Amino acid sequence: MTVLVVEGLRKSFGGVIAVSGVSFALEAGRIHGLIGPNGSGKTTLFNCITGLERRDAGRVVFKGERIDHLKPYQIANRGVGRTFQVIRVFPELTALENLLVVTRGPRAAAERRGRELLEFVKLERLAGEYAGNLSYGQQKLVEFVRVLMTDPTLILLDEPAAGVNRTLLNDLLAAVTRLRDEGRTILLVEHDMKVVMGLCETVFVLDHGEMIAEGPPGLIQADERVIEAYFGR
Amino acid sequence: MKGSRGVVAAALAVALVALVVYPVFGTGYGVRSTLQVFMWIALAGSWNLISGLTGYVSFGHVAFYGAGAYTGAILVTSAGWSWPVAALAGGAAAGVLALLIGYPCLRLKGPYFAIAMLGLNEVLRALVSYFEGLTGGGNGLSLPTADVTRPIYYVMGLLALAVTAGTYLIITSRFGLRLMTIREDEIAAEAMGIDTFHHKLVAFLLSAVGPGIAGALTARDQGYIEPISVFPLAITVTMIVMVLFGGKGTVWGPVMGAVALFVIQELVWAHYPYVHPLLFGAIIVAVVLLMPRGVLGLLQLKYRLPRTI
Repeated sequence: MTVLVVEGLRKSFGGVIAVSGVSFALEAGRIHGLIGPNGSGKTTLFNCITGLERRDAGRVVFKGERIDHLKPYQIANRGVGRTFQVIRVFPELTALENLLVVTRGPRAAAERRGRELLEFVKLERLAGEYAGNLSYGQQKLVEFVRVLMTDPTLILLDEPAAGVNRTLLNDLLAAVTRLRDEGRTILLVEHDMKVVMGLCETVFVLDHGEMIAEGPPGLIQADERVIEAYFGR
Repeated sequence: MKGSRGVVAAALAVALVALVVYPVFGTGYGVRSTLQVFMWIALAGSWNLISGLTGYVSFGHVAFYGAGAYTGAILVTSAGWSWPVAALAGGAAAGVLALLIGYPCLRLKGPYFAIAMLGLNEVLRALVSYFEGLTGGGNGLSLPTADVTRPIYYVMGLLALAVTAGTYLIITSRFGLRLMTIREDEIAAEAMGIDTFHHKLVAFLLSAVGPGIAGALTARDQGYIEPISVFPLAITVTMIVMVLFGGKGTVWGPVMGAVALFVIQELVWAHYPYVHPLLFGAIIVAVVLLMPRGVLGLLQLKYRLPRTI
């Protein structure tokens, strides 16, 4: 079953074509990787899916509903969660408040869930600390569990491994796998090839705003166009 | 922590009782000054709701005060309403105005919103001057004489209390946290499912009602209003300075700023009338340079106090 379908997505900034007619589909309950050299359009693609950028052309269909005309908060409330390449926690809210603020329904239950998630990333001691005072890696974890608070169907992770130390990274990857096992769909942008190849079941490759390859990691690694995009001829 | 809480609660209770009985034996000047402090608490606290929490700086908040003043004054003079009801109507009028203005303007990002609000105030002043039949134009509007300073003292006190208590409730709620995410990172807030526009609009509405009521009460108390007396930029600037001085985004910052600056202002005004504007400018510069979070904001960060101080 497909969760997200992107068809002919196009986005340019002035004369720069960031994404030029990209189509792909995400399967429910799988971990997908999105790779490509710098400036290949990965983050723009994320922004178009989550509504932060308005696409120029094309369709984005999530669970059978077109979402490409919706506002970011409407897309998020339909079950698309994301993290950012450059961390965007709310610095003057505490770690726990960062999680609480995205919840609705009974507050006590939300607080309990928030504390559970902080415990899960070993930040329970810092629940009352302003997020802005946490280290880079800790902020990254807060952002990661903040997405989980919204109980998303589809999770877009923009470079989850960047700047995270090895031990933490293994926990993070285990968490991503667990989310998949819960039936959630994941699309992650990552430069660390070990992470991508070890974790993802399907890998998409973007180059100059075009999707040049798609398939299981083993095939992608051997694909000539991919090697060319990364290393040149 | 528990003990200090009790002390604070006791101190507040004593202050409350003192303020309630004060008009019985206080001088006319004292009562009038305290009434003005109440008004400034209500104004500064209201400005804090939109600008302190969401970071959308309103440079035209006096527009709501002026709209409330004219609504109240017209209802009292032309329609013969009693002043308490007219004051509520002034608050309602300011609220409606906030929705009308906020709907287009809150889509603008920070600095553009600030400029738009500055324009709003000038437009209102021009409109009020133009519609002479209703407002008296530049000649102003005189209300029937009545000595109601003492009842207005209580109503204004209640308003200050309501704004402060409302701020406490908002800041401790998830609604208040969501307002703060707009200040912290509006794009991330949107991406996390927060309808930021709707939240800003509600905050803006709430921040307009208090000034509207305060304007109508002041109009009744003073008995005469004119465009330049109820739409001066100086009132907005004073609100802003009070909040910045006390600590934006906190519960007691606006209260502290209102009391402190009012007292300083009165002292300087009495002794050195010419340096008065200079002093205000100096305070703005000093606050922005030395403690951009204000007195309470500084203490809050240093001693890890909750925002509810």
